[in-house]
Amino acid sequence: MTAGIDSLPPTIRERLREHRVTRSMRRASRIFFDTTDFTSIDYGDIIFVDDCYFLVTGYTKEGRFGVDDQTKPWVPRVEDLATGNKQILKLVFHETFDITMGQFTISYYRNPEKEARVLELTQGLPRFMQGRAVLDEKGNLVRILDIINGRRLDKFIYKSGANHKEYFHQELPAILKQFLECVQAISLLHRNGFRHGDIRRDHIFVERKTDLFRWIDFDYDYYMPEKPFAVDLYELGNLLMYLVVRGNFHPREIMADPDMGEKILNTIEPGDYALLSKNRIVNLQKIFPYIPSELNNIFLHFSLGTDVFYDTADEIAQDLEAALQKLT
Amino acid sequence: MNDWRNILIAVDDTPTSENALKYTADILGKLEATRICLLHIYPEPPPGYYSSGKSLDDYRKEKEEKAASFIHRAKDILQQAGIDTNSIFSMDSMADHATISQAILDIQTEGEYGTIIVGKRGVSKAEEFLFGSISSSLVHHSKDCTVWVVG
Repeated sequence: MTAGIDSLPPTIRERLREHRVTRSMRRASRIFFDTTDFTSIDYGDIIFVDDCYFLVTGYTKEGRFGVDDQTKPWVPRVEDLATGNKQILKLVFHETFDITMGQFTISYYRNPEKEARVLELTQGLPRFMQGRAVLDEKGNLVRILDIINGRRLDKFIYKSGANHKEYFHQELPAILKQFLECVQAISLLHRNGFRHGDIRRDHIFVERKTDLFRWIDFDYDYYMPEKPFAVDLYELGNLLMYLVVRGNFHPREIMADPDMGEKILNTIEPGDYALLSKNRIVNLQKIFPYIPSELNNIFLHFSLGTDVFYDTADEIAQDLEAALQKLT
Repeated sequence: MNDWRNILIAVDDTPTSENALKYTADILGKLEATRICLLHIYPEPPPGYYSSGKSLDDYRKEKEEKAASFIHRAKDILQQAGIDTNSIFSMDSMADHATISQAILDIQTEGEYGTIIVGKRGVSKAEEFLFGSISSSLVHHSKDCTVWVVG
């Protein structure tokens, strides 16, 4: 159901009239009480949930499937017209898709209920994005999220412009200390039966004012009944390696670097490659000899050569904590 | 340690399971005073199951009907090996908020089974990491019992 702006309370109507978004609009805003058909909700419209009038001021974007900055129409940026608070709404979007990991295909789906439960579980915990979940008029689970003012972790690690050796010795220890707490935060989810579901380097945001690392986006899920957390663990490993070496290393990157080239590539053995990512090298100590073995041994748990897998995020956290002693 | 003669055999509809059963029947048929439970554990419904308009009861019914036929076949194999019908029981259950291996171990603990028998699929390292191996999990996490993994 939609309504016209005449039905708005006078103070809200006045704020809407004066808002920069509506001043430039050639049509009247509409008020949506039902978010089922989110594609019909446009910039300048209002979503009414939880007794709040949320003005749509834009849409979030995300790189996905190799395409940068795809607009997510089910995730509008909004402003609460009563308080002026800027937030993000996440509307119900049932989507399923397959992701390939190595030779395997995993079916993913969006699980709004899981995200709502994670928001509830992690209320007040600094390592997680904050928000609440409410129902719209038709019972759709709308998540109202606080915006984290900051930048993606993978951009943050390049901010100083340091070369790798300087980064490794001067900046990485503090980064990994925070990342350790992020791993412990994922462990908390797992202990409560939830997966993050989409651990990737742009799903940790670094708060601008505090430099605090915080997990975002919990609505992806997958069906893997016997190993419910394996993908999360693998992606934690990938993210850790990315943080340590600021990139992914395949033979082509090694050959492209004049300081590495064949001399390094010839030392790489079949067991040094990643368990589930073709041609990605995880025995990174062979590329960066100053990586201590305690840290490199964590990476090797995700290699083709491993005989031992991590079963829990806590195991990764314990090993990372020990490795950190060697770095600091 | 529980009594080894109190035996739990995890079964499903795969050739691996049937091979394990035949191997086991050959041995158990020569023994006396065993109590055997044929157990089938199935996972929770996959995502999207409910949106097809079906209920959890429908899912359980589908799984139980399917299990009934291979459990019947499993009983036949054991009986043909000379095992007394009265010493064979069967059970099927959904792994509710648990992995299949955890559910098997819960039933093992509850029923004080001293032996678990399970077939081994032979999965690759990557497959084991990602999708798990029920036999490996049973070997790693079982207590008070012996696990036979039949490859």
